Amino acid sequence: MTPLLPLFLGAALGLAAATSALAIERGGSMSFARYDDSAIIDPVYADRNPDLWMINAFYETLLRNGPDGSIVPGLAESHAVSADGKTITLTLRDGLRFSDGSPITGEDVVFSLDRARNPDLGPWAGLLGSVESVAAEGDTVTLALKQPDPTILSILATFNTGIMPKAAFEKAAGATDQEKAQAFFAGGPVTSGPFMLKSRVQGASMSFARNPNYWRPGEDGKPLPYLDAVDFTVIPDDATRILKLQAGEVDAAEFIPFARVGELGADPDLKMELFPSTRIVYAPINTREARADGAKNPLADVKVRQALNYATNKDVLIKLVTFGTGKPMTSLMSAATQLHYGPEPLYPYDPEKARALLGEAGLSGGFEVKLTTLAGSADDATLFTALQQMWAPLGIDLTVEQVDNPTRGEKNRSGAFDIHTYGWANDVNDPAQVTGWLGYYKQRQAVGTGWNNAEFNDLFEKSNSEVDPEKRRGEYKRMQEIYAQEAPLLFLFETPFAVAVSRSIEGYVQTPLGANDFSEAWRARK
Amino acid sequence: MPSLSYLLARLVQIIPTFLLVMVFIFLIVRLLPGDPAIAMAEAKATDAQIEQIRRNLGLDQPLPVQFVVFVKNTLTGDLGRSIMLKAPVTEVILARLPTTIFLALYSVVLAICLAGPLAFLAAARANGAADIAIRSVFQVGLSMPVFYIGLLLLTVLAAKLRLFPVGGYGTSFLDNLYHLILPALSVALYTSAIILRNLRASLIEVLDADYVQFARAKGLSPRIVMTRHVLRNAMVSTVTLLGLSIGNLMSGTLVTETVFAVPGVGRLMLEAIFARDYPLIQGLTLTFAVLVSVVFLLTDVVQSWLDPRLRQS
Repeated sequence: MTPLLPLFLGAALGLAAATSALAIERGGSMSFARYDDSAIIDPVYADRNPDLWMINAFYETLLRNGPDGSIVPGLAESHAVSADGKTITLTLRDGLRFSDGSPITGEDVVFSLDRARNPDLGPWAGLLGSVESVAAEGDTVTLALKQPDPTILSILATFNTGIMPKAAFEKAAGATDQEKAQAFFAGGPVTSGPFMLKSRVQGASMSFARNPNYWRPGEDGKPLPYLDAVDFTVIPDDATRILKLQAGEVDAAEFIPFARVGELGADPDLKMELFPSTRIVYAPINTREARADGAKNPLADVKVRQALNYATNKDVLIKLVTFGTGKPMTSLMSAATQLHYGPEPLYPYDPEKARALLGEAGLSGGFEVKLTTLAGSADDATLFTALQQMWAPLGIDLTVEQVDNPTRGEKNRSGAFDIHTYGWANDVNDPAQVTGWLGYYKQRQAVGTGWNNAEFNDLFEKSNSEVDPEKRRGEYKRMQEIYAQEAPLLFLFETPFAVAVSRSIEGYVQTPLGANDFSEAWRARK
Repeated sequence: MPSLSYLLARLVQIIPTFLLVMVFIFLIVRLLPGDPAIAMAEAKATDAQIEQIRRNLGLDQPLPVQFVVFVKNTLTGDLGRSIMLKAPVTEVILARLPTTIFLALYSVVLAICLAGPLAFLAAARANGAADIAIRSVFQVGLSMPVFYIGLLLLTVLAAKLRLFPVGGYGTSFLDNLYHLILPALSVALYTSAIILRNLRASLIEVLDADYVQFARAKGLSPRIVMTRHVLRNAMVSTVTLLGLSIGNLMSGTLVTETVFAVPGVGRLMLEAIFARDYPLIQGLTLTFAVLVSVVFLLTDVVQSWLDPRLRQS
């Protein structure tokens, strides 16, 4: 035997190993530790994140969001908007089938969209408020709108417009739509998305199996998903969820506390993923002239609100609360939101400017502010202590009031607060949801702050029927400028979704909206 | 054995307890700060949506009307629909209850197996080396919170040594014994510490009692003396304590089931409270009340069997 052969063999083996690390492999399953269980995965009735973030696994939408957030084809291979913006025409792909093998037809689309926009059913019907009627003829689906709606294409790529099988749903037991939805889900629903429900033990576990009839092709040209199954375990306790991952009993664990991101990132068996999110942490400021007890409210003065923002060292907060994983806010919305405008972080730390602004407002002598925080939240406790120290040199006496979540919500609605902590993540891939929530007075008094800005309100109303994308972008730019200037919030930071994943799993994604996307995940064999 | 009339009398006593419990849970749930409609809707809902939820739950009705509806429905076995889980409360609770009962019984059995023999060992030579060692170790167990013991066990036995699974629940009886050993053990360590102290003290007292001395003097075999005279008398107060600690254990499951990811009613209760899920909180409180009453009833029965004097009262 020549000495060359082993050398050649070694090189060949090395090459094979290198290609297998790159090529996608099909089959196998992955296990995933969740922080909470899904109650019902239904496009209409889902209202909690553990439900919302799983809908795309079961129900495919007519349009989809590409990796950059743009609109790309889904079940509909093409779409067209009429010149007056009031008619949307979509053409379904050929040969689409549900998980049970039955064809996906225009009739299923009409059924699904009519159900999604019925205001008597779920909480999301308003998203399709502009739709007058939905009709189908063959593979062509037509939406007639009451008025032009710039958000409609995004909504057709949102979980609540997922396509469900009409015949199978109507066969489910129950007298009302809600009972049918419950029975349909419990029985292992017929789906149009990449997965179907294999089994479920309420509160404990859930198992997805591959939908053999899913349409979207993977990198190898064959249909997705790559995995045969995804098995979920519900572990509410953070420490236990991480232990489960470290013991190798699961392949991934979500909602890793930021305090432990560094430690898990250093583990050679794991990848610490920090997915960009639309999640923001902020603190609404009560801008009403009078406090809840009738006394004059110093925070009604925009200069005071700006001063508080300048007096807040965001970089320090990001280190303390998010262990360096967060980013300062540059606008009312996260940078991952469409039409975001924010060239630089808002209100960089500047205690001197803060002092000057307070002087202009006639409050050099100091005043008292109460921060309402969530009882038991370590993050809020840290935030309070840090703010208290940052603001004390300016004569601001910050006191704390700890409440539970429902009480905080009630205070927000009644205006019985000075400043309180809050968080938000977009459900829809369009800025109207977060902008309406934070700034539009008529919706919820601008996130309970009582901030009522006529120019902002007008722009918001106008942008909601603005069909020219460039004009709409301009309106959003102006709204974000006004909001930043007026500071009805203490702008804090954006945080990522932290998921720790085993090195043997590739391609799992949590989208900026929070959805768990297993469609392109795959397991590398050793 | 206790007579039938004794059992019936004890059962009748339970009825007013239940009425009180019903009034109490109805009021306490509604006295919690925070509106369930707001809690359920999460922050994003509009005021109109909140009003809708409130109407659906019947929360717009006056309190007395709500109470009548509650009592009527409860007596017919209808505990309403869980807001959070969107399913009938009875169904949800029945699905989760066996897990909690299994865990509770498992930890009680473990606690007795641990505490029983060690108590004898300790009492046999009070203040000897073994006694002091046993008592010190269990004193540590008694002073550590259950969730902390749980996390220690999880970190060492499950994550590091990989002897047991990290939390979760099995599919068969044996599988459950394996999956629940750590949560059962962490509860058992605490319970056994309480039992041990009490049993040891009673044993020492009884071993020294006149009737035991007399039994020995009359030449009964040590085994008979131990089972008939010592054990039976020493156990009376321990059984009371065990009954009480099962009551405690039920509330302990709130924490244990969360730490160990056990899908029982304890964890469900915690989630229901955070979500202000009124129907579910009411249903669960009622369930806990039934469980604790049953345990206390059983305790009384066992006691009256151990100590016939108690049957008179």
